[in-house]
Amino acid sequence: MDDWQYKPAGDHGLKHEESLRSLRRETGLIGTVTQSAWRLAVRAYLRGYHRLRVDGAEHLPQRPSFVMVANHTSHLDALTLASALPWNLRRFAFPIAAGDVFFETPAVALFSAMMLNALPMWRKSCGPHAMQQLRARLLSEPTIYVLFPEGTRSRDGSLGRFKPGLGMIVAESEVPVVPCFLDGAHAACPANRKMPLPLPLHLRIGPPLSFAGVKNERAGWQEIAAKLEAAVGALRNGGAPPAVPQA
Amino acid sequence: MFGLHPVAFWIAAGIAAVLLITPLLFLVLDKAGKLTPTLSTDLWTRYKSWLFLTPLMVGPLLAGRLPAIIGVGVLSLACYREFARATGMFRYRTISAVVGLGILLLTFAAADRWYGFFVALSSLTISLLVIIALFDDEPKGYIQRVALGIFAFSLFGVCLGHYGYFANGPAGQAFLVAILLCVELNDVFAYCSGKTFGRRKLCPNTSPNKTIGGALGAAILTTALFAFLVHLIAHGTVLDQPVHLIALGLLLSLTGQFGDLVMSSIKRDLGVKDLGVTIPGHGGLLDRFDSLIFVGPAMFHYVNYFLGLGLDQPVRSITGQ
Repeated sequence: MDDWQYKPAGDHGLKHEESLRSLRRETGLIGTVTQSAWRLAVRAYLRGYHRLRVDGAEHLPQRPSFVMVANHTSHLDALTLASALPWNLRRFAFPIAAGDVFFETPAVALFSAMMLNALPMWRKSCGPHAMQQLRARLLSEPTIYVLFPEGTRSRDGSLGRFKPGLGMIVAESEVPVVPCFLDGAHAACPANRKMPLPLPLHLRIGPPLSFAGVKNERAGWQEIAAKLEAAVGALRNGGAPPAVPQA
Repeated sequence: MFGLHPVAFWIAAGIAAVLLITPLLFLVLDKAGKLTPTLSTDLWTRYKSWLFLTPLMVGPLLAGRLPAIIGVGVLSLACYREFARATGMFRYRTISAVVGLGILLLTFAAADRWYGFFVALSSLTISLLVIIALFDDEPKGYIQRVALGIFAFSLFGVCLGHYGYFANGPAGQAFLVAILLCVELNDVFAYCSGKTFGRRKLCPNTSPNKTIGGALGAAILTTALFAFLVHLIAHGTVLDQPVHLIALGLLLSLTGQFGDLVMSSIKRDLGVKDLGVTIPGHGGLLDRFDSLIFVGPAMFHYVNYFLGLGLDQPVRSITGQ
């Protein structure tokens, strides 16, 4: 008889606070319940208050792992992108959130972990090590990252430059990257506003790209960032995405 | 005394006194230069943990029947959570949910004093675990998932659950406080007598620091202490005879030490040092409460057989009329 395989939680052995901030954090039964409740509430809110419309949902891969990237203007962005996923994929979604905003104090970190299922990105010290951890997780277990390659919310609603760090996560891998463009979030809840206005949101999802042929090195990372920036930009300018999904 | 069983009161008072005196002892030893800085920090961390842990453990027992039962339920759930995260069982949410449900129902049965349901839950929950695991339609790893679920439910649900039901019996409070004290001291006795007389290893592959001397020393000291306490609690009853007192004491010491060894075995098999990080200086809850697991059922059924815990008369204080 072969030995049984045990796989402790990725954050096993970490203290409570470290575990909330760990990139290897795994959700258990309690987290599943709190996150599901949160997602239901957010979905109702986005549909009701913002009359969210989603185009191109057929471009989303049927199975994890994949990455969703989008423009970033508002705290509504990550909620909206995660909410666009079909219900059976939603529990695999990890918004990549700014550590200094979403994981600074223990109470906020608890909320980010137990409700949003967010993983922290520390903007001041976001070294290759964190990217490696994110990449390893994406390639080894069913994972969907929701991330914003501009690195910060755009203050005027325009599309900023995409940072190449994202390339370290997906270069030389088959993992699809889905470009998305969220319209209306800047008007509804810009960075300087606390309470969102009841303005409509429109999410456009484009056909996925993958970067198996792009070298996992600086030039490759920049190429990936540029391609995704162009894809998101095209969704912005071109309106509705092409109707035919990629094979 | 204060609505408490006198034995429970005096044990609690004794524990409180020890907790008050211990820091003074540390200070004296430290001043005398007997403690190295690392040992000193280690002792203080452990002491601070005990300072929080003791009221959390003893408090619900002293607070009454329902708080004791609920406290045991919470402990069971927390122990399962730790086990599930260390083994990876937490990824099987339906199995984990059924184990959790089983523990909640055991807690309810104890609160309701419905012994028939309490007993029935073993077979019913196990059946449900075996059946519910089919719904993943994933035969690969089926036996392992189900077996780990049943294993965990048996240990942390059924075995620990006996403490909850014990709280319903006559002098339940006094028995529980005495058992808790003796199980914890059993570990201390084993450690101290092992340091003093321990030469031959008990089971070096499972737990390299345990010695036969330690096990025997603990058995003798714990038996003496528990026999004395049961003599006070069950004064004038059929249990108050040397043969029963010694048997109970030995049973407590042995099942306590076996619980410790079982958890060491689990940890070795998993390849982890501690099962959690809940208690600073101790590790996880299971690293601290491992010795309690088999003591509960052993004491419960022994006392019930000879003294009776009133199980033959269904009370059903909630589901009755």
